[in-house]
Amino acid sequence: MADFLSAYSVQQWLESAPQGYLMDTEYGHPPGEKEPGLVLGDPLLREQAIRTTVQLVVGERCALSASSGLINAAPDEGSKRFLATQTLDEARHTEVFTQRLFDLGVPKADLESTIRRYANPNLVKFAEVLLEKVDRKDFVAGVVGQNIVLEGMAFHVFEMLHAGSQAVNPKFAHTLSGTIADERRHVGFGENRIGSLIRENPHRKGDVERLQKEMSYYMLATFADSFRAGPAQEEMARLRRETGGASGKSEWQGVDLSELEPREMEAVLSNTVLAEFKKRLERIGLEYQTPVRP
Amino acid sequence: MSEESSDVHQLEPARFFEQVHSFEFWFEAVEGYLHGLDHGHRAETPEAVLAPDERERLITVLCNYCVGETAALEGAGGLVQIAPNRASKIFLSTQTVDEGRHLEVLVNRLRELGVADPEVEIASRATPALLEFKRRLLALVRERDWLAALFAQNVILEAMEFTVFQAHARSADPRTREVLQGIVKDERRHLGFGENELGRRLAAQPGAASRLAAVRRELDPLVLGSFRDTLLRIGGRREEGADLAEHYRAAVTRLGFA
Repeated sequence: MADFLSAYSVQQWLESAPQGYLMDTEYGHPPGEKEPGLVLGDPLLREQAIRTTVQLVVGERCALSASSGLINAAPDEGSKRFLATQTLDEARHTEVFTQRLFDLGVPKADLESTIRRYANPNLVKFAEVLLEKVDRKDFVAGVVGQNIVLEGMAFHVFEMLHAGSQAVNPKFAHTLSGTIADERRHVGFGENRIGSLIRENPHRKGDVERLQKEMSYYMLATFADSFRAGPAQEEMARLRRETGGASGKSEWQGVDLSELEPREMEAVLSNTVLAEFKKRLERIGLEYQTPVRP
Repeated sequence: MSEESSDVHQLEPARFFEQVHSFEFWFEAVEGYLHGLDHGHRAETPEAVLAPDERERLITVLCNYCVGETAALEGAGGLVQIAPNRASKIFLSTQTVDEGRHLEVLVNRLRELGVADPEVEIASRATPALLEFKRRLLALVRERDWLAALFAQNVILEAMEFTVFQAHARSADPRTREVLQGIVKDERRHLGFGENELGRRLAAQPGAASRLAAVRRELDPLVLGSFRDTLLRIGGRREEGADLAEHYRAAVTRLGFA
């Protein structure tokens, strides 16, 4: 374990993140980059961008609470130190996505009310299930919930948003690329650290698998709400065709996102995340539990 | 960092508060003094030749620093959860990674001194007073007592570490000195946050001062006891303990918590 943890040290983190891919960035993107005029000028696109960003802030606030709480539950000093770097990563994500809300024109005084207004209730429930485990200092369940389920979901959501933003919104794409690099590290830690803990505590398999199933349901319900019940779907589809058409292909997981209907996008995202969960859980000795589809 | 934050003291109070608590501010601050270091010291800094008894004393002292930094790491992580606002949570996450770094560089220093299993060594050399301090600090965090826990962590513990590390750095071997000097720079930021946050809250709730005085009465004997225990184990002079105690009291007083 000591050898694997040396790859997750504060020294490694300092060299790869603040002194690496975050060097010369400002709130995660090169200084001077702005939100595109199309997003700021069109009320529907702007509201959609705010709605999406609020979900990112809610997810990151949950991750910040969970990673900081898990420090006290970690059974060894190396894991505590890794979780300290993860805590700061999550705080940075909270900060850069909050800054995006301000860049999109949300007044500072309205930040919390905007988050309350747009936060998806299923995402809030997803967070509550995880934080309940963290509050109980349940390290095994907490790390699976945080570093496999939450981070695995965030990783793919960010990747999809990144693919869709690269051509039309370089500022947001750059912000996302730093967070994707962080999430990759968090998922790697979860998979490496929890495998040995599951082997040492085989009796924990059942309840951790149930946790994965429950959190996966709320994740799918969040996706369903986002893709099926967004405002003015037809108008959004028109704007997507216009912006997608103007910027060319947005390829992710072998499909062109600009050509997909929302339900098709939801299916690609859900299937990608669930397939990845299955693979990672098998690697750490857990059996993937198929969640109910909302 | 943005141009706006390049002179934070020109900002109006609310913006200043937001700015100095941010990841961006932390990033700029540490970049200046951590860049190019390997585990807290320059790679080319020579390892001093220590006599066996000097090495033993240094290991005992570093083991106790590790106990203090583990308390600080767990305390800061817990404080993120109970902080009353977003800016404080973000500042405390930067403090959490600072504490993680301190623990890591001190453990690494033990390894450089030939300690094969630092965790075992730390457990065997930790002073009871410091372990009790850690237990009480984390109990305050668990009870979600924001004012008392922040006072214990960012004033008492940080002032204790600041005092001891600064004093030790003056006489330490070159590698240990560089490691301690880097830690002291972080501690200044943590003390500043504690002073600012508690100062504003005490101005708004004068009654809280008596609560903090009670916490100090409870923790001070443990701080002084840990100085005494450590000096006893390393064969230090009684006057050194008195000096450290005086410097610690002066540091807490300077912060406005006499």
